Amino acid sequence: MPREFQRGHKARISDLTAGTDLYVGVQISAPGLTFDISCFGLDADERLSDDRYFIFFNQPKSPEEAIQLLGAQAGDTESFRVTLDRIPPTVQKLSFTATIDGDGQMSRINPGYLRIVAGGEEVARYSFSGSEFTTERAVMLGDFYLKDVWRFAAVGQGFDGGLEALLKNFGGEVLEEDTPEPAPAPQQPQTGGAPGFAPPAFGAPSAPPAPSAPTPPPAPQPAHQGFAPPAATPPPPPAAPAPSVHAAPTIIAPMTPPGGTVPPPAPAPAPYGQPGQHQPYGHQPPAPTAPPPPGYGQPPAPHAPPPPPGYGQQPYGQVPGQVPPAPYGGVPQGVPQGAPQGTGVAAALSKFKETPTGQRWTLQNGKLVRADLGVGGQPVLARQGSMVLYQGKVDFSYKGAGFVGRIVGNATGQEMQLMRCTGQGQVFFAESAAHLHPVELQGDAICVSAENVLAFDESLQYEVRRIEGHGIPGGALFTMQFQGTGTIVVKTHGTPVVLPVTPTTFVDSNAVVAWSAAAQVIVSSQVRMRRNAYPGDTGEGVNLQFRAAPGNFVVVQPYEV
Amino acid sequence: MNQPLAGYAPAPVTARMENHGSHMLKVAMQTGNDLLARVGSMVAYEGFIQYEPNPPAVRQIARDWITGEGAPLMKCSGDGLLYLADYGANVVVINLGGDAISVNATNLLAFDANLQWGVERVKGLAKFAGQGLWNTKISGQGWVALTSRGEPIVVDCGGGEDETYVDPDALVAWSPNLKVKGKRSFKAQSLIGRGSGEAYQMAFSGTGIVVVQPSEDSTDRLRFRG
Repeated sequence: MPREFQRGHKARISDLTAGTDLYVGVQISAPGLTFDISCFGLDADERLSDDRYFIFFNQPKSPEEAIQLLGAQAGDTESFRVTLDRIPPTVQKLSFTATIDGDGQMSRINPGYLRIVAGGEEVARYSFSGSEFTTERAVMLGDFYLKDVWRFAAVGQGFDGGLEALLKNFGGEVLEEDTPEPAPAPQQPQTGGAPGFAPPAFGAPSAPPAPSAPTPPPAPQPAHQGFAPPAATPPPPPAAPAPSVHAAPTIIAPMTPPGGTVPPPAPAPAPYGQPGQHQPYGHQPPAPTAPPPPGYGQPPAPHAPPPPPGYGQQPYGQVPGQVPPAPYGGVPQGVPQGAPQGTGVAAALSKFKETPTGQRWTLQNGKLVRADLGVGGQPVLARQGSMVLYQGKVDFSYKGAGFVGRIVGNATGQEMQLMRCTGQGQVFFAESAAHLHPVELQGDAICVSAENVLAFDESLQYEVRRIEGHGIPGGALFTMQFQGTGTIVVKTHGTPVVLPVTPTTFVDSNAVVAWSAAAQVIVSSQVRMRRNAYPGDTGEGVNLQFRAAPGNFVVVQPYEV
Repeated sequence: MNQPLAGYAPAPVTARMENHGSHMLKVAMQTGNDLLARVGSMVAYEGFIQYEPNPPAVRQIARDWITGEGAPLMKCSGDGLLYLADYGANVVVINLGGDAISVNATNLLAFDANLQWGVERVKGLAKFAGQGLWNTKISGQGWVALTSRGEPIVVDCGGGEDETYVDPDALVAWSPNLKVKGKRSFKAQSLIGRGSGEAYQMAFSGTGIVVVQPSEDSTDRLRFRG
């Protein structure tokens, strides 16, 4: 059941869902009118100090893709994907707005809503209708704002001007002001207006980057030369409505004194890569689940101290956008073995409960992963027989192994058989109690030994690579190279080790699980014939050697298949 | 000399059944409070405990179990500490407290002899690949220990009309009040399940829980032992 919000209501996101990967859908319609729905990423002064955080039809994503415009889907006029923990610290507030394209009045709109969906489940809905508005041409529907933690506020504040007035209100600038019409068609930014959104000042100041962050978010620049202060005639005063909304009582803490309307700060949003946070059962180092995408300048350091939050640091603990640590919070971890527990089946089994928050992929425990097919809507390919349970209407069909399977099958004698899971519902995958590691790829590539693939999004492209060499059982080692955007679940027997690739990294071909695709594999045989000729052969004659730039990694399992 | 091992000494007894680590069960035995355990599951005991394989009472209840063989249960009685394990599988201890649970036969490790229990074939399921699916329904006031290959997961069936489908090889236990149906996917190219070209699933509906293990290996390891 989504929580219903009224105008002025606020709540902490963490009270709505433990996830930070949110889908925000807006439905707004009116006979004969079209709407532009946009998201403004504002700084602490509620100014649009960085044009790249104005997410609208012409700029569908922010630089680090924390905010993405997804388009109309699932009954929503417009939808966004917001990954809260990737939003740079300069952005303190996201304001979702709807503006009428052309002439019209908000009073004519049909009942609509703004909703927040996390993991396929609607967690919040703010409904509005035309009766709440009069002649406005724009409306600020709702805000995500950072006050200790991310919170959501249902705003519902009308605004007389159109998109460009809204933009000015937030400190942005629209070029082509000389057009006499009161409402320059919103298509204009697409054509002539585009430069207006190009960051004019970025070339010169080049914000001082944080020393260790490869891609630092631009530092806040309140006195941005490119942004003219709003003209003297921005319709309603911008500052007034927002604070009044945020001073309204919170749903969670309705009657606290006015000064303290906000509930006490929750623990700060999970810092990336804090190992303790994703170890539900304590025996699984975080790094294997999150091999850093190739190209980041430093080797993975599984037990590095938690880096400060910041985009550039993300790869250490958590692949960007991956299931955040929060879901594990749902697992009661502290139950000491043998401690007296409540009676009854439910009490005894409560520590094994399904973790509720659903992303598309959720690790339920170290050995079971849940895929929610409703999120993202695309099919999942999985190893046949790896389904242990499913709910909802899910169709399993044979996935022709195709070229890939036949190559693998012919050469290794065992065909890698896949099944395609389509439909709506949740599917739980597991196999032989192997450890599972969901790896989210964001345009990068990874090679996984074919035997260690459990399931993956169909959106990923994959191809088989064949590594030949004398001494490899079966004549060759088959790996699947995945690339694109999506998640692949890798299984390992036992807790794996993630090694940075150095000039002298050698791996047993039977134990290798995965490696970053940028690493080059060489089969190295120890050519000490004389020693091999004796019966005291070590049995470790053939190894894989990896050659790559620093930053690549190899995953090895403690089990030689 | 064995300081690293000292940490594994038994903890003081606080309940009838406890986990020792996550893969071993420790039972505090008392005279008059007998235990039924899987044959061959004992790994150690301390005290005076006697074992009676296939006792008449069990034979009576479990006569349907698997034809031709005795029930794979033994009655343990006496005083002391009893340690049970099943080839490294995770052990889940449940204090029933009046509830009831249906357990897949191969996932049952031990339970108090004073509980009400019965063996039944899963209704609506003619036969599952190779092994008939038998389950033991246990209810009453007492303790039950289950095994699971890997950490199990508990899924709430939701109570609606929606069905939850489970691979029978991965099924551990479920609430007995759930409706159980067998489902065969006869679709031409539907190939789920282990090895066979036939897909079986069990469909559960109603209010209750299903316990699933992250492995589809339901081989009865204890059965292979002499």
